[in-house]
Amino acid sequence: MGLSGKLQRMKRHIIREEQDKPAEKPLVQQPDIPYMDEWERAGATPYVLDDQWCLIREVRYPLSFQHGRHRFSEVKQAVAKWNEWEGAHPLSAKGHQVSDLFFFDTETTGLGGGTGNIIFLLGYARIQGEEVVVRQHFLPAPGNEVALYSSFLEKVDYTTLVTYNGKSFDWPQVKTRHTLVREHVPKLPGFGHFDLYHASRRLWKHSMEAVKLVNVEKEKLDICRTEDIPGYLAPMIYFDYVERRKPEGILKVMEHNERDILTLITLYTHVSLHILEEGEDRTSREKFEVARWLEAVGEKKLSAGAYRKLVDEQDKEVQAMASHALAFHYKREKNWAQAVALWDAVCEEGALSERIEAHIELSKYYEHKQKELLKAMQHAEAASSLCNGTNKRLEEDLDKRKTRLMKKINR
Amino acid sequence: MQFGRKTLQEAIDWLRQEEAVRSNIIHWHTIPEKEAAVVPLPADIAPELAAALNNRGIEQLYTHQLLAYEAARRGESFVAVTPTASGKTLCYNLPVMQAVIENEKARALYLFPTKALAQDQKSEINELIQEVGLPIHSYTYDGDTPANIRQKVRKAGQVILTNPDMLHSAILPHHTKWVALFENLKYIVIDELHIYRGVFGSHVANVLRRLQRICRYYGSDPVFICTSATIANPLELAESLTGKSIRLIDKNGAPAGKKHFVFYNPPVVNKPLNIRRSAVLEVRRLAGEMLKNKIQTIVFARSRVRVEILLTYLQELVKNELGAKSIRGYRGGYLPTQRREIEKGLRNGDIYGVVSTNALELGVDIGQLQVCVMTGYPGTIASAWQQAGRAGRRHGESLVIMVASSDPLDQFIIDHPDYFFRRTPETARINPDNLVILIDHLKCAAYELPFKQGESFGETDIEEVLEFLTAERVLHENQGQWFWMNDSFPAHNISLRSASQENVIIIDISVTAGHKVIGEMDTFSAMTLLHDEAIYLHQGVQYQVEELDWEEKKAYVREVDVDYFTDANLAVQLQVLEEDKKQEKGTAAFSYGDVAVHAMATIFKKIKFDTHENIGSGPIHLPEVELHTNAVWMSLDNNVQELSEERVENGLIGAAHSLKAIIPLFAMCDPNDIHIVPQVKASHNEKPTIFVYDHYPGGIGLSEQVFNQFSEIINQAAELIRHCPCPKGCPSCIGTDTAFPTAKEDAYRLLKMFL
Repeated sequence: MGLSGKLQRMKRHIIREEQDKPAEKPLVQQPDIPYMDEWERAGATPYVLDDQWCLIREVRYPLSFQHGRHRFSEVKQAVAKWNEWEGAHPLSAKGHQVSDLFFFDTETTGLGGGTGNIIFLLGYARIQGEEVVVRQHFLPAPGNEVALYSSFLEKVDYTTLVTYNGKSFDWPQVKTRHTLVREHVPKLPGFGHFDLYHASRRLWKHSMEAVKLVNVEKEKLDICRTEDIPGYLAPMIYFDYVERRKPEGILKVMEHNERDILTLITLYTHVSLHILEEGEDRTSREKFEVARWLEAVGEKKLSAGAYRKLVDEQDKEVQAMASHALAFHYKREKNWAQAVALWDAVCEEGALSERIEAHIELSKYYEHKQKELLKAMQHAEAASSLCNGTNKRLEEDLDKRKTRLMKKINR
Repeated sequence: MQFGRKTLQEAIDWLRQEEAVRSNIIHWHTIPEKEAAVVPLPADIAPELAAALNNRGIEQLYTHQLLAYEAARRGESFVAVTPTASGKTLCYNLPVMQAVIENEKARALYLFPTKALAQDQKSEINELIQEVGLPIHSYTYDGDTPANIRQKVRKAGQVILTNPDMLHSAILPHHTKWVALFENLKYIVIDELHIYRGVFGSHVANVLRRLQRICRYYGSDPVFICTSATIANPLELAESLTGKSIRLIDKNGAPAGKKHFVFYNPPVVNKPLNIRRSAVLEVRRLAGEMLKNKIQTIVFARSRVRVEILLTYLQELVKNELGAKSIRGYRGGYLPTQRREIEKGLRNGDIYGVVSTNALELGVDIGQLQVCVMTGYPGTIASAWQQAGRAGRRHGESLVIMVASSDPLDQFIIDHPDYFFRRTPETARINPDNLVILIDHLKCAAYELPFKQGESFGETDIEEVLEFLTAERVLHENQGQWFWMNDSFPAHNISLRSASQENVIIIDISVTAGHKVIGEMDTFSAMTLLHDEAIYLHQGVQYQVEELDWEEKKAYVREVDVDYFTDANLAVQLQVLEEDKKQEKGTAAFSYGDVAVHAMATIFKKIKFDTHENIGSGPIHLPEVELHTNAVWMSLDNNVQELSEERVENGLIGAAHSLKAIIPLFAMCDPNDIHIVPQVKASHNEKPTIFVYDHYPGGIGLSEQVFNQFSEIINQAAELIRHCPCPKGCPSCIGTDTAFPTAKEDAYRLLKMFL
């Protein structure tokens, strides 16, 4: 048989019908979302990206809304005050508008850091005009993280995060999960960060057993949660949702997360007013901790001013601590008379460790500045007897000091 | 009375001439010096690197180093079999440094079995880097790495030195913090490959599967560079550990000094029982002679207890001449700081003698020792050569004395020097697909990255396992992917090292106000070593266990001074769960499958030092421990030719003892990795049966190896009994658990029936 016959016979295998149908655009199908009616009622809408989706829930509050001790509108005042304030401070919003602040909190499937700890809820609030807008991006099941992070990163133009322990937990975890989808979603922008956990610890760790957000709410912000599910249950509820798809439990977790975020606004307001010395009902101990914080961040003048106001406090304990701290300030400024007067008072009124330190400082002063060796010796002796075996190193130092003084005296 | 000190040569002459010593020397093997086989440095090497090598006195390479360099450059994974002191570090440092010099982005990950080895190698590679004079960053990453430099290590470290445990629990679960490493990982170095066997090796194989899975995710395909001591199957081990096709480099070009290898059998002190003088006492004498002459000596002993006993003896012996501190103990249970101090003392010469368990087999750099004394055969040929390599690491003459104990394997080896010097060393077995281990690591892997449909993990088809874990609500399936769906951190609950996940902490309560943790031990060993009233030895100090708090896994010990040590018994019950393979041979049947083991510590004996006589006993009250594992069981037909049940029972006990001695010749394992239990009427078939099982949940491939080679193994065990000169059984053949008059003859007969 000739080739042409063969070709004819094989034609059907060789010449395929050229299909000139246009390449079908994959139809973006609306995913079938279980219990969508319930989601809608809760204010959630779907966000679809290729074959992935997530839910975005939005809630708005008027600025006049009062959450605990403060109205949301007060955060505007706090930011305005920061902008007028002369000092520098890690929580300072100087140069920012209130709308730059991004109050942020997540819910995750586990506690520690690690690649497998999934963030299933990214929640944040911002001040927009006369409203607080809370938005929550919810991951309906693992495998939709491209949608989750795309929706989240699409519109963020914030400059400063405000979190509770977000520096060491939430944000590193966002980075971790983002790395896993980084080729499909926008980059994570850079930002400033106000971590209110650290702020709260500074102000309240002496008076609270654990400086947890719920405790801060209850004891400092007059926020009382009713029907709130505890945060540690969130992973279990999520696992249950992923399996059974009923939004009921998850909506409770979202409410919890929403509360946490709203509290961040109140807490930021509250702490800012404290630092700016604007808040009412500030305890003297809180005032002292603010002063100490200012000193720690290098605002020496401001901190000295704050200490000075506390020297006449009713609270004897705070009075002594403030006097002691202020005395060091005067010492730095070589204002010996003031410093000595304060330390003399501390020697009478202070707590044990402060009294020891005050005696030592006075001993140094009389030895080196006044050359009154006997007085210096008296203070060293007083410090020694106060130590009474509790601090070996300090006592060794004191022994050296006393020996040296003795030599000088006998010279 | 002697004047002055002996040199090593004089000590060797003393061995040859002193009648009381000479008569116990069974075999004297001299390994001649070996010339180096060298080649010039490769032409493509960076000039800075070549100059650095020259400055360190390296102007040529040994042939195997060049082969290694070329293979690595071609992107071929390889395993280099390198005896001690053959310059193995250049096998990996050279290609790695070259790669990093060529491309500063390139990364290498070094894995060492212990933290100590990583620290050691870090100093070595850093010296080379300094010589090269380029900014190359190498860091160790382990529990001691300060938090403030960790980020720098992760981002900028070009050579990361770590251990499998750290990789497992700190690096892989946080891989997103290591993007720079995983995207650019060019070489993975696995040093001391032969250590990765048994349970540990099976775990590490899975850790490497996880590592490679993450590398694929970040788009890298690293080349594996392995180095191993001499074992029978380095290639097979490297391939099953890494899952890659590997090239073998085993022509060693390094020179070696002259080495005397002496087989020493202690004299028989009780003819009828064929009992020899204790190896420990002989070692005391031999090592003592060396140490008194300030000849740096390392003494190896198999168990922790023997290390401690020998340490006490030797320190006593030299305390007037050298001071007790000049001889130190070294074993796994010591805390890291103690170990560092000893390693340093050895290097700078403050310490003359070390008594060690196998921990020092690893390539920790302790410099030059002249003499190595082994208290008993170390269990494997591979490990004997490793230990022998400790003497005369860097050229020069050296002496190795192996003192046999009464153990049957020791007696077998000492009687068959040819066997030792000619036979290929043992096979290292791993079983990465042990279900218990595999699932542990599948969990970790799912935590690290979701599994995709069709994805494989090693050889196993894992879909069924993934579905199982989904049903158990550990994973969640969505659109053909399996996601971790649990609030725990799986790697924290999985230890790569011990059979049981929990360790018993040992607390010294001698000082009422200052309780102190002095060590730890796995729970299974603790049953027989840390029970109430046990004598526990640590750094030559005796402690008595006052209380073992089993619930809390704490043992409270108090320092004592007694003249005995303790030895505990373990009662074992076995139940066959499933038979996977079966083979029948006349009256005998061999099976391989799954068993359940129930073990319980029953009583302990107090045994006097020096005379080793039994001076008392007591009960142990600890709960039963259950284990599901693989086993081989071999049964004989019931009508075992006219032997009474009593004779069969005692014969089986004897046969089991000889088998236990012989099996380590075939499978590379610690004596405790495999257990043997004889039963005159096994509960599943009512027949006389010997069980051999892997002492690890799910098995690690040892009993399977026994099933594959059973006729050879039984033959050797029978030969062992037949060749033993004792009349009616002794510790060297059928053991002392049976004192029945016909036991020896019956054990031999029963073994023959299996053939």
